[in-house]
Amino acid sequence: MISSANPNSQCCRIGRTLQLAMSFTGFFVLAGVLRCEASFAQETAAFFKSSCASCHTIGGGRLTGPDLKGVTERRDREWLRSYILNPQAKINSGDAYALQLLEEARGVVMPQVPGLTPEKVDFLLDLIEAESALEESQFKGIQVSMEPFTPADVAQGMAIFKGRQSLSNGGPACMACHSVPGIGGLGGGNVGPDLTRVFERLQGRVSLSAWLQSPATPTMQSVLRDNPLRPDEIHVLVALFEDTAKNGTPVQVTVAQLSFLLLGLGGAVLLLVAFDFIWKGRLRAVRRPLVQAAKL
Amino acid sequence: MNVRSQIAMVFHLDKCIGCHTCSLACKNIWTDRKGTEYMWWNNVETKPGTGYPTKWEDQEKFKGGWEKKNGHVRLKSTGKGRIVTNIFHNPHMPSMDDYYEPWTYDYQNLFNAPEGPDQPTAKPISMVTGEYIDIESGPNWDDDLGGSPVYGENDPNFAGLTDEQRLQLFSIEQLVFFYFPRICNHCTNPACVAACPSGALYKRGEDGIVLLDQKRCRAWRSCVAACPYKKVFFNWFTGKSEKCILCYPRLETGQAPACFHSCVGRIRYLGVLLYDADRVEETANLPQEQLIDGQRDMILDPGDPHVIANAKKNGIPDSVIKAAEESPVYQFIKVWKLALPPHAEFRTLPMLFYVPPMAPVMASRQDTGALNSVSDNLFHDIDDARVPMKFLANLFGAGQEGKVAYALRKQKAVRWYRRAVTVGDVDLETAERMLREADCTVSEAMAIYEITSLCTFEQRFVIPPMYREQAIEALKDPHEQKQSAGFGFLSGPRRGL
Repeated sequence: MISSANPNSQCCRIGRTLQLAMSFTGFFVLAGVLRCEASFAQETAAFFKSSCASCHTIGGGRLTGPDLKGVTERRDREWLRSYILNPQAKINSGDAYALQLLEEARGVVMPQVPGLTPEKVDFLLDLIEAESALEESQFKGIQVSMEPFTPADVAQGMAIFKGRQSLSNGGPACMACHSVPGIGGLGGGNVGPDLTRVFERLQGRVSLSAWLQSPATPTMQSVLRDNPLRPDEIHVLVALFEDTAKNGTPVQVTVAQLSFLLLGLGGAVLLLVAFDFIWKGRLRAVRRPLVQAAKL
Repeated sequence: MNVRSQIAMVFHLDKCIGCHTCSLACKNIWTDRKGTEYMWWNNVETKPGTGYPTKWEDQEKFKGGWEKKNGHVRLKSTGKGRIVTNIFHNPHMPSMDDYYEPWTYDYQNLFNAPEGPDQPTAKPISMVTGEYIDIESGPNWDDDLGGSPVYGENDPNFAGLTDEQRLQLFSIEQLVFFYFPRICNHCTNPACVAACPSGALYKRGEDGIVLLDQKRCRAWRSCVAACPYKKVFFNWFTGKSEKCILCYPRLETGQAPACFHSCVGRIRYLGVLLYDADRVEETANLPQEQLIDGQRDMILDPGDPHVIANAKKNGIPDSVIKAAEESPVYQFIKVWKLALPPHAEFRTLPMLFYVPPMAPVMASRQDTGALNSVSDNLFHDIDDARVPMKFLANLFGAGQEGKVAYALRKQKAVRWYRRAVTVGDVDLETAERMLREADCTVSEAMAIYEITSLCTFEQRFVIPPMYREQAIEALKDPHEQKQSAGFGFLSGPRRGL
């Protein structure tokens, strides 16, 4: 009797435990999905900011690329998805609208954004649709005044570039990696590209400002992600770049490198002399001088 | 009164024959490993001479020991501020050339050389680089060459000698030398211990032996620079410093250290001293001319009941106190005042003492052709010795001739007295007058004679039981160690942490 009753009750216990476990699991899965929904939206917005906003606005006018307000009404989703996933392929296929976009962008091909999947594109399009419906989108872009820059703006831009004036959100000085004319014979850093002609490369004030607000390259994204530039800082930097594009010629790298080398050598020699002076009482050879003195 | 016990040593230089047996005994036991080839924890120098490493006594160059600054002793080589600026480069390190580049010989060539017109030779090979070298110097390069123009003439102890004295010393028929065997002095105020930034050096509580923990040494080499006697060495293979350990494994088993045991001239004495640790700092700070007396005052009388009571209070076992009473070292240093510390002016309070050597007399023949051995001044041969008193005073008297003269006169008086007793060719009355003039009694003279000439092994080395197990228990609980001991591997010191 006892032996037959035991397995039954054990079965029951296991069953109840399983039930409990399943309900718990269900709760966690649901919670997880809900959380994912919320974070997907956030992630998509962040993705738009980092990967799209340097060339596109939603309701802020065209930059390098067109304003995306109402783009889902202008073209159907199928076309948009295939264009976004591989713009060059679409252009090569001879698609008329794609060629028109290319012309409007003065020949700049939209880059293929790394890490995009059809699902992500759909999320992006959902986001654009939702933002287009709003009165004022968060991706309207910065409003750039078209007033001519003053020399004071250029001077302040230079101060920021050189790091004399530190960036309010703690970003590093541009000079650490970049160079423009007028920052001394040694030039700036050689890690990033020379920025003398960046104003022309990025086609003017508006796109350059948008680029500075949300840079399109992974390197600059990581530099400015946690410490973005403020609009007034962008303003004076653009002023500087406009000025250098107009008036400056890039610093010659070889000259800068040579002077750096010479300065380094001179410094090393000075240091050695200083060391020799500071430790002039150090123990030099003892026995050898005795022998040499005796030989004389 | 804070009584501590210390194994102390006396080297009787008048008996040293310069045979280097001590050096070899030490070398064979301790420094025949890789990286220690150039080290001689025990070496024998010829004086006058520059020693090993060359001119080690010249602290203007080597910056060893202590100096008095603003009324207080400071290390000459380093300090709290200077250790930071010199952290990657110790500016006072002797180079290997100042010791010598160790070498062996290419013996195989004697057997394997191809047939040729000449006898094959065994060329010297560096034990550091493995290349053939021209030998330029060695650890006893100027052995027996007291007047050599390179090494002999540059002895730092010639400071203060007149030109006339120097000329006399180096004139061909007046050349003179004596031997100066050296080991670590196991100082009471050791500069090496004070200089070590890692705390690797320590003075053993129960017997005062100064040791270097191979596991804690971080190769700063501050000890090498700080030791004024240059008796801490850097092992270039293990990256750790090493020094004389006074053969503590032998002492702990009741044997004399190897260099003591093997000494042919029986010049070495070893025993326990009791000293007052509370007075070390005060003694090290004394003016230079009071250093030797101050150190003697710091050493306590093991027969004094007050001292014994305080020693017991500090946990010094009765057997150690008894050994201190029988210690020949105590007699030499404190009672007879025959033994003197080397270079007391370095202020490390060394615990190795030297009985200064008697030197040959300046030859002064009488008209008759006989050697003038008697004069009105009974101690004329000490004053007229070929080795100027000033030289010995620089070495053993912290510059004071009086201390050395006292020790030499007493030795001379004892000799004269024994000559009167044994040979009888000089009269006993004169001998006793000499004893009185040398501040010595007949019984003291007999005791000095016994311990100098007739001493047995047991009289020379009064080694106390070391009670190592008790000393360890003060720091470590044996029950805690019990379960982890006795199994596993011992590893030698290696470079790095």
